[in-house]
Amino acid sequence: MATTVTRIEKLVGKRLRRKEDPRLITGTATYVEDIKRPGMQHAVIVRSPHGAANIKGIDTTKAAALPGVSAIFTGKDITHVGSVVCGADLPGLRKPVHHILAQDRVYFVGHPVAVVVASDRYIAADAADLVEVDYDVTQAVTDPEKALAPGAPAVHPEWPDNTAFLYHQTGGDIDKAFADADVIIKQRITSQRLVPNAMETRGVVAEWLQADRALTLFTSTQIPHLARTILAGQLGIDENRFRLIAPEVGGGFGSKLNVYAEEALMGFITMKINKPVKWIESRRENFQVTIQGRGHVDYFELAAKRDGTMLGLRLKLIQDLGAYHQLLTPAIPTLSVLMMPGLYNFRNIDADVVGVFTNCVPTDAYRGAGRPEATHGIERMVDLLAAELNMDPAAIRFKNFVQPDQFPFPTATGLNYDSGDYGATLQKAMDMIGYDDLRKQQAAARAAGRLMGIGISTYGELCAFGPSPATPAGGWESATVRIEPTGKVTVHTGTSPHGQGQETSFAQIAADELGVPMDDIIVLHGDTAIIPYGIGTFGSRNTAVGGPALYYALQDIKEKVKKFGKMLLDAEEVTFENGVCRDPKTGKEITIQTIAGAAYRAMKLPPDTDPGLVATKFWEPSNFAFPFGAHIIVSEVDRDTGEIAIKRYVAVDDIGNQLNPLLVDGQLHGGAAQGLGQALWEQAVYDDNGQLITGEFMDYCMPRARMMPWIESSHTVTPSPVNPLGVKGVGEAGTIGSTPAMVNSVIDALSTLGVRHIDMPLTNEKIWNLVNGAKA
Amino acid sequence: MIANAFDYTAPQSLDEALTLIGNGAKPLSGGMSLIPMMKLRLASPEHLVDLGRLKELSYIREQDGELHIGAAITYYELESSTLLLGKCPLIAETATHIGDIQVRNMGTLGGSVAHADPAADYPATLQALEAKIVLRSATGARTLSTKDFFLDTFTTALEPGEIVAEIIVPIEPGLTGTSYQKFRQPASGFAMVGIAARIRQQAGTLSLIRIGVTGLSGSSYRATNVEAALEGKQPTEENIRAASALVGDGVDASADLHASADYRQHLATIYTAKAIRAALSRSA
Amino acid sequence: MKIAGTAALPFPPERAYDLMQDPVLLAKAIPGCEALEKTGDNEYSLKMKMVLASLSGAFDGKVRLTEPERPHSFRMVVEGSGKIGFMKGDGVLRLTPKGDGGTEVAYDGEAQIGGTMAAVGNRMIDMTARMLIKRFFEKLSVE
Repeated sequence: MATTVTRIEKLVGKRLRRKEDPRLITGTATYVEDIKRPGMQHAVIVRSPHGAANIKGIDTTKAAALPGVSAIFTGKDITHVGSVVCGADLPGLRKPVHHILAQDRVYFVGHPVAVVVASDRYIAADAADLVEVDYDVTQAVTDPEKALAPGAPAVHPEWPDNTAFLYHQTGGDIDKAFADADVIIKQRITSQRLVPNAMETRGVVAEWLQADRALTLFTSTQIPHLARTILAGQLGIDENRFRLIAPEVGGGFGSKLNVYAEEALMGFITMKINKPVKWIESRRENFQVTIQGRGHVDYFELAAKRDGTMLGLRLKLIQDLGAYHQLLTPAIPTLSVLMMPGLYNFRNIDADVVGVFTNCVPTDAYRGAGRPEATHGIERMVDLLAAELNMDPAAIRFKNFVQPDQFPFPTATGLNYDSGDYGATLQKAMDMIGYDDLRKQQAAARAAGRLMGIGISTYGELCAFGPSPATPAGGWESATVRIEPTGKVTVHTGTSPHGQGQETSFAQIAADELGVPMDDIIVLHGDTAIIPYGIGTFGSRNTAVGGPALYYALQDIKEKVKKFGKMLLDAEEVTFENGVCRDPKTGKEITIQTIAGAAYRAMKLPPDTDPGLVATKFWEPSNFAFPFGAHIIVSEVDRDTGEIAIKRYVAVDDIGNQLNPLLVDGQLHGGAAQGLGQALWEQAVYDDNGQLITGEFMDYCMPRARMMPWIESSHTVTPSPVNPLGVKGVGEAGTIGSTPAMVNSVIDALSTLGVRHIDMPLTNEKIWNLVNGAKA
Repeated sequence: MIANAFDYTAPQSLDEALTLIGNGAKPLSGGMSLIPMMKLRLASPEHLVDLGRLKELSYIREQDGELHIGAAITYYELESSTLLLGKCPLIAETATHIGDIQVRNMGTLGGSVAHADPAADYPATLQALEAKIVLRSATGARTLSTKDFFLDTFTTALEPGEIVAEIIVPIEPGLTGTSYQKFRQPASGFAMVGIAARIRQQAGTLSLIRIGVTGLSGSSYRATNVEAALEGKQPTEENIRAASALVGDGVDASADLHASADYRQHLATIYTAKAIRAALSRSA
Repeated sequence: MKIAGTAALPFPPERAYDLMQDPVLLAKAIPGCEALEKTGDNEYSLKMKMVLASLSGAFDGKVRLTEPERPHSFRMVVEGSGKIGFMKGDGVLRLTPKGDGGTEVAYDGEAQIGGTMAAVGNRMIDMTARMLIKRFFEKLSVE
């Protein structure tokens, strides 16, 4: 029974390689595309090539005649199926009814018009080519500002002003702030539309078992439980007979925080044809019909004193919503409003948001969702103020930061920043990069005619969604811990990791708490038949909300382990450490593995205790968590070509405690790459007719490894008081911090030419024109 | 992203391939341009004949004082050929600018030449090398200069039934300096402009200069005005700049989302000077 | 996307103008044109096959010639659609006499492209349009 207790090293905080990687890098993971069911049919969707058109007729005769075609459905067949759900609500929000197949008109390129089902994907594709749709093309509008202009084509005829909602938020006394101001800075700042481009496109396999009235649906999603609830409603079936599985999911970045027409459509088809059906989104469809991110035109006005003290910020935010609402479309810009003060200590804000319909695919949550837009805005405005007052951009930030003794800090937008030391991250980043010396180098470079820039971004982020009242579908998370009879441990999380690495980091938490080896722990997720209801993975919430749920479930199960230990050791009191229960009086010990066997064998039970070792916890956070950081980028612009070279990139991020710094680095690096993508290269460009002209990788420029700078990364650690792990969230931080640092750096490089602002992406030609124009 | 149905033949010999192509089949080489078009159903050939597996088109050899390269030689084979690296380094260097490793493993010289993409890299290099292009059909063979071969946007002198069989490039005396300089379109990696320069010096003056241009307009070309401005001159920075400025004279420069015609013209000037300088630094 | 440029025709403006209004000659000059039939006043139905590199596709469409100002200018609208997508070109052609007895034709308009064809990449649209226009004028000049 007894063994000597050796101190086991704690795993939380260690740089451990991911448990999920072997299957990913050996190609043995199971994605939706890998799933095959007996008799499975294949669906190909016929989509509108027009941005706006009325459907005069659809002729499916030729397509239906093709051998191997099992069914073709058009808009008239699906009128009883629930339309695509918008989970967000705002006062007066106009919600277009978006059927899963178009009815009498189409309103964006890619709008699904018909679906062809056949015995293989090739026949389905051939048949889809044979479906003849007669369109009466009408005028489209794709630019949100043009859509707001009088006389613009109406995306939805019933709302000729193209306005989906108006939203106003104010805090403090904005009029007084502007009346007291010595300086007012005004700037129009855009955040262009971006294509999320997960490595795995979307895909669905649906299988209906008529005898059981049971539906199984595999889909590449970030929110398996929410998707099941919504799809069950759309399809009119019982949630408990509906098993939704998110198998391996190859990235999402918010694009799979959604419930799409195709998911309901495949459910509808399998129920109709009584055979399993598969649909795999092509890359081109992914560009055209999966949600896109950003899409802001922002008009900022910043009021400040001549000494650099910021007093208040006004914002008119024009959000390009696209043609209809996906799950959270209208809610995203409201997150921008929440974060518009950034890290700064002013208490007066005023925001007017207008949500605009355009003939484009909807925008929705994309890594950062609303916060990158806000952060880019405020960080640009701070730099503009510094330029206006001839102050150093670092100095003006130090002057305005919320101070460490002000936490919890209530913002003008109604948030309560949990903890932080904003000056410390900036100072650390400046020390790492040698800021004062850099400014001297810059002066020398300028004297030599070189265009060198230093760009700072000090970002704050609102994440770990979140308290339930602040989220559309509950903001808690669930976890179950099952200690099996041999002492092996199975963890169920309601989150749905798809690259974030919780199979590893959650195992680290469980290993430390239970004192069992990492290898004895498995973390399961993404199957509604196995996992208790959960909310899913988005908004940097896995670790900060799912982690505490697991932590508390582990505390519960430890209590039960101790009860068994006490009984088995015949002790009055026991300690539990490193997987061993110990009677401090006698020194007798018993391992968790032995206890587990006894708990299931149940020859004897402690008083008021049931057999087995399972604990489930649903945990609700009391607040968001607020990571922050400082990114500094040194760049140099080539006068001849407009090319931008990133010379140095220093990032100091404070994400609270870190469970696994290797995973943290991965999230920050990937995030930074995505943020640089927005700053320098990426843009979803539509022509006036609604054609996405950057609809493939030949024209849509994704960041490549060879374009990435070396990131010198460091951290400060301010634990969050909101959760017992002291973690904040890191999924989106890099994306939010990097973009303004890059843009500020290039604008700093060009500031000697009189350049104060450039809209993203900072393409070579745009930069060359500025340099060239300045020369002329 | 699913092609229409098509027949596929991997012929055992070049003669068999030429007979099939003579009967209307479409030649397939590395497939780096054709297959994506087929998957989008923008191209729907009924019958593909795979030239990529023919040993008869896969060689690099020295013969009669020239280098003969079979059309099915891949970019990877070009960049790693010690024969080419030693005797015609420009053709090896150009391959390193193409796509990524996967593309270089599949794509072929003959495929690129036959496709005549206006932003492909090799046409510029072949123009500068004054390469000869050997065309074959079931009924015969003919050899064309690059000027006579590259006619317009995706348009070459290839007649129906004909394929690009071989590329002949000169053996460069040790004194020749060459360089290919490319400004990549950031998304696709194709040349926004690509300039190949080939230079020989004698007693401090330029005794030979050849400039091949791609990406700037609808077709590759030799910038003879730049050549004329420098031949017999000293390669001073001033002379190089002045000559490079002529590269796009009279050229109808392309424009797209990534670069206006003016910007392309400007890049061509900058990159011509860059290629000349690099070639100079490599010429004895 | 904007399409603008100039081309030279070796005829005086009046003849150049008339050539471009003549459906028989238009049918010869429009690249890939397989049939051009009159359907109304200055309006023709068009069948064309476009072959460019590996891309090929058949288009049904129409040609309209409007705003006639002989011999100075007119407007030409060409549109077509087919399996691989659709396209539309709409522009004004201005004719001015040149010293050598020929005519300079300046064209200025918009080209649109949609459907799968748009997937070939933005760079191709401009190049293709330029080449088709060039061929059009080359064919006309030898009439």
